[in-house]
Amino acid sequence: MSLSLILRLAWRDIRSGEMGLMLVALLVAVGTVTSISLFVDRLQTALVQESSNFLAADRQISSGEKIPQAFTLAAQKRGLEVAQTLVFPSMVFAGDTNQLVSVKAVDQGYPLRGNLIVGDVPFARGAPTDKVPEPGTVWLDSRLFPAMNVKSGDLIEVGLAELKVARVLVAEPDRGGSFFDLGPRLLMNLVDVPATEVVQPGSRLSYRLLLAGAEDNLEGLKEQLDLAPNYNWVSIRESSPRIGRALDRAESFLLLGGLLGVLLAGVAVGLSAHRYAQRHFDHVGVLKTLGATPKQILYGFLSLLLLVGSVAIVLGLGAGALLHVIIIELLGNLISVELPSPTARPFLLGATTGLICAIAFAMPAFIHLKDISPMRVIRRDLGQSPASRWISYGAGIAGSLVLLVWYTNDLFLTFWTLAGIAGVSLVFGVLANLLLRSGRVVGMQAKSGWRLALAGLQRRRSENTAQILIFGLAIMLLLVLVLIRTALITEWRSQIPENAANHFVMNIAADEVDGVRQLVEKRATQGDFLYPMIRGRVIGVNDISAKLWQDGLQRERGGSRLTSERNLTWIVDPPESNAIVEGQWWAEGTVAPQVSLEADYAKSWGISLGDDLQFDIGGQQIMAKVTSIRTLEWESMSPNFFIIFSPGALKDFPATYMTSFFLQRSDKRFLNELLTAYPTITVIEIDALIAQIQEIVAQVSQAVELVLGLVLISGCLVLVASIQASKDSRMSEHALIRALGGSRKLIGSSLAAEFLLLGAFAGIVAVFGAELTVGILQSQVFNLSASLHPWIWLLGPVAGALIIATVGLLGSRSLVDTPPMMVLRGLN
Amino acid sequence: MSRTVVRVEAVEKVVPTAAGSLVILDGIDLEIKQGETVAIVGASGSGKTTLLGILAGLDEVSSGRVILVDEEISSLDEEARAKVRGLHVGFVFQSFQLLGSLTALENVMLPVELRGDTLAESQATELLAKVGLADRIDHYPRQLSGGEQQRVAIARAFASAPTVLFADEPTGNLDTQTGDLICDLLFDLNREFGTTLIMVTHDGRLAERCARTIAIAAGQIQA
Repeated sequence: MSLSLILRLAWRDIRSGEMGLMLVALLVAVGTVTSISLFVDRLQTALVQESSNFLAADRQISSGEKIPQAFTLAAQKRGLEVAQTLVFPSMVFAGDTNQLVSVKAVDQGYPLRGNLIVGDVPFARGAPTDKVPEPGTVWLDSRLFPAMNVKSGDLIEVGLAELKVARVLVAEPDRGGSFFDLGPRLLMNLVDVPATEVVQPGSRLSYRLLLAGAEDNLEGLKEQLDLAPNYNWVSIRESSPRIGRALDRAESFLLLGGLLGVLLAGVAVGLSAHRYAQRHFDHVGVLKTLGATPKQILYGFLSLLLLVGSVAIVLGLGAGALLHVIIIELLGNLISVELPSPTARPFLLGATTGLICAIAFAMPAFIHLKDISPMRVIRRDLGQSPASRWISYGAGIAGSLVLLVWYTNDLFLTFWTLAGIAGVSLVFGVLANLLLRSGRVVGMQAKSGWRLALAGLQRRRSENTAQILIFGLAIMLLLVLVLIRTALITEWRSQIPENAANHFVMNIAADEVDGVRQLVEKRATQGDFLYPMIRGRVIGVNDISAKLWQDGLQRERGGSRLTSERNLTWIVDPPESNAIVEGQWWAEGTVAPQVSLEADYAKSWGISLGDDLQFDIGGQQIMAKVTSIRTLEWESMSPNFFIIFSPGALKDFPATYMTSFFLQRSDKRFLNELLTAYPTITVIEIDALIAQIQEIVAQVSQAVELVLGLVLISGCLVLVASIQASKDSRMSEHALIRALGGSRKLIGSSLAAEFLLLGAFAGIVAVFGAELTVGILQSQVFNLSASLHPWIWLLGPVAGALIIATVGLLGSRSLVDTPPMMVLRGLN
Repeated sequence: MSRTVVRVEAVEKVVPTAAGSLVILDGIDLEIKQGETVAIVGASGSGKTTLLGILAGLDEVSSGRVILVDEEISSLDEEARAKVRGLHVGFVFQSFQLLGSLTALENVMLPVELRGDTLAESQATELLAKVGLADRIDHYPRQLSGGEQQRVAIARAFASAPTVLFADEPTGNLDTQTGDLICDLLFDLNREFGTTLIMVTHDGRLAERCARTIAIAAGQIQA
C-alpha cells in the first residue's frame, strides 16, 4: 500500500473515532508513565537531596584515623565537592566552670548539604547561614551558655587554645545518628585544631571526609578507593536507617504504582487494538479481493500503527509533562523542597513504554489482520483463528514482562505481581465461568430486563468471563494500591507519634531525680520513666577474655568492639517498644544477676542464651547470665539499650539517670530554666530531627497518593476499553430485540442489570486477588506484617457493581439510542 | 477462437466439521472462455458461493487444479494469489463492500492504488459518471443509498480493467427496479470492457441474461 493511502486511512480512522480509544489508551500509557516518572524522578532526587542533609553531604568517608590527602585529591579529580570535619570529646573551661563537650572542627566547605542554623540568643529560633566559625572563634550549643555561664564575646579554653564565643549554634544538619553519645556541641574552625593540642595518639577522634556531587562520580570514587576496613563509606541509608527504609519503601511503592499503571494501560491498548482489528476484518477482506497481498496488509497496518503510536507518544509526552507541571503547581505549597530540573530519563521511559505497549499489546492484533481470508467478503463467519489469540496473549505477557523488569529493575516484584495476576486469572476464570454457567436459562428470556441480562451473560459466557477477569484485575490492582498505600502511610505516621519525646535528659544524679521529674512534669509532657544509666564494658564471655572471643569471630570491620564502653541499665519490666524473641524476662525479685541482650548485638558478637558475660563497671567486676534476647524498635524514639540488667544486679553501683520528654517548640525556653537549675545534666534536642523525618514522610505520602490517582485514570480507561470491546455484539443483539418490539426501557434495564452483575462478580474476584497479592507484597516486598482487610470484602463487589454499571451505561448510551435499523443495516 | 480464462479440473473442497468431513464441492470440471457471461445457480448450501470463491482465488481447494488467466492459482500461496487477483480480477458483492472510511472516488481509485499505479482522477471520475454518480464522487458510502453504493462497487470493479469480473448476488440486497438498473449497468460495462462475467445468483431473470448457466447441486455440476 502506498504511504499516501496509509496516511489517508489512518487519518480517516482517527477522525471517525475508530482509532480513538487506542490512541487515547496509548496516550494515557505514555502520559501516566511520563508524569509519574517525571514527578518521582524529581521528587526522589529532591528527597535524596533533602535526606542528604542528614549527612551534610551525599556521602561520607569516616574513620578514627586521619583521612589521607589522596582521598580528597581523588574526589576533587572527579569533580566532587569536599569538606572535612573532625569530632572529638574535650573538656572546655570558662573561668571556674568546666564542661565536657563534643567538639566539631570544620573547614570552609562545611556543610555540603543542608545549612547551619545560628542565632545570637540562646534557645531562640536562629537563621540559616552559609558561613562557619571564623578562625579564633567558636559557636556553642544553647545549653552551654547557662551551663558554663558564658555570653557572646567571652573567651573559653579548648585544650591549650583560647577561643572567643561568637554565636549560638541552633542546629547542624548532620546532628542525627547516635545522639546518645553526644555531649553539647562546640563548633570551631579546623585551622584552630593544632593550637589546641588535644589531638594526640589515643584520643577518641572521628574524622570525616564529606563528599557531594553526581551519583556516578560518587560510586566511581567508592570503587576506585576500595576502602580498607578502618575507613567507612557512609550513605544516607546506612547513617539514617529510619529514613533509608522510608525511602526504600516509597520507591518500591511508586514503582509498583507505575508498574500497575503501565499494565492497565497496556490492557486498554490491547483491548482497543483488538476491537479495531475486529472491526476491520471486512475491510481487510475487501482489500484482499482487490489484490492487496498479505505483505501489503501487514506493511500497511503496521505503518498505520507506527503512525498512530508516534502521534500518541508525542501527545503523551506533552500531556505527561503538562500533567506533572500541574501537579507540582497544585502541590507547590506542600512541597517544601526545591525540585531539581527533570532529566531526560522520564521522557525516554514514556516513549519506550508507548512503543512497547504498541508492539506487545496492539501489534499482534494488527499482524493477524494479514491472515484474514478474503472469502470473508462472501462468508461473514470467517474471523480469526483461535491460535492467533494465544499468540497475542503471549505477546502481551512478554511485553508486560519486558516493561516491568525494565521499569522496576526488580525481578522479584515483577515476578510476584505477574504470578499473582496469572494465578488469579486462572482460578477466577474458572470460577467466573462456573458462576455464569449456573442456573442456565433457555432462549433470550426477553420478558424482563433482569432475565434478559442473565440470559445475555450466559450466552456470551466466554466473552463475559474475560470481561469479569479484566474488570476484576483492574479493580484488584486499584485495591492493592489503596491497601498498600494505607498500610505504608499508617506505619510511617505511627513510627513517630504526634507527641513523641523530642528531648532527652541524661546525667541526672540520683539526688536530682525528684527535682528534675517535678520540673519536667510541670512544664512538659513526660515521655519515658527514668532509666538508671551506668557505664561499663564486657570483658569476658564464658570465661574467655572478650578480646580473644572477639578475635575468634574473625570480623572484618572497624567501628565498635565487644569491649567498647556502653550504657548499661537495670529495669523491672521490659520497655514497651521491646519484644522478647528468645528466653524469658526475669521474674520480680530475681536475685542472681541476669542480662537481656538486643538481638542484632547478640548475633553480631556470637552470644546466645545461657552464655555468661563478665562486665567491668568502674573497676569492679560482675558476672551475669544471658536469659533473654530482645528486638528493639529503633524508630520508637525511646531510649534503647543493647544490654539491660535485672534490677538487683547493679543496685550497688553509682548510677546517673536519663529520661525523655516532649516539648513544644514555643516552650524551648524551659530548657534554659532546667539547665540553670541543674547545670550538670545534659539535654539532647532531637526535635529538629523529628521534624525533618515527619516532613519527609509527608512528602513521600503525597507522592504515593498522586501515583494512586494516576493509576485510577488508567483503571477507568481499561473499563471503557473493555466495554467498548463488547459493544458490537451487544449492539446487534439489542437492536434485534428492539426491532422485535422490545422497549428502550427493557434494553436499558437489561444493560444495567448486566453491568451490575458483571461488576459484582468482578468485585468478588478483585477482593480475593487483592487480599492474596497484598499479603505477599506486604510480607515479601515491604516487610510489613500481613493482615486481612474485611472492609473491602463488601466494598469490592458493591463498588465494582456501581462503577462498572455507571461507566458501562455511559459507554453504551448509543446501544439504547441508536435506531435499530442503523444497527441491522450495519451502519453503526 | 477466444482463449480459456478459467479452467477447473477435478476440484474438491472438503471442510472438517464437528460431525466429520463435509464435502462442499465434489469433482468439479469447468472451462470458461474470454468474454463469456456465466451464471452459477443452485439452492442455498449447494456450494455455488464456495465455487465462486475458488474460481476467484479467494479460497483454496482441497484437491484438483484451478487455472485463472494462465496462472495455476490452486498451487499458489495467498501472497501470489492476491497479485493475480489484483491484475486480472474484479468483484461485485451482494453487500457492496465499500470501505466506509473512503469517499466514492477514493473507493474507485483503490484497486489501482493497491497495484502501486495511480489511476488518473479523471478516469475514476469518468467511471463514476458512467454509473451515474458524477455528482456524488465526494460522498462517503454511508451517505449513499444501497443502489448507489452498488454502482460505486461496479465502477470500482471495472477501474482495474479486469479480465474476469466475479459477482456474488449483485442485486440480492436491492429492490427489483434498482436491481434491474444495476444489472443493465453491469452488462453494459461488461460489453464495453470485453470482460468475462461470472455471477452467482438466485435470480432467474438475472441468470437468463447470461449466455451460459451452470447449475450446482450437492457440490456437483448438473448436466
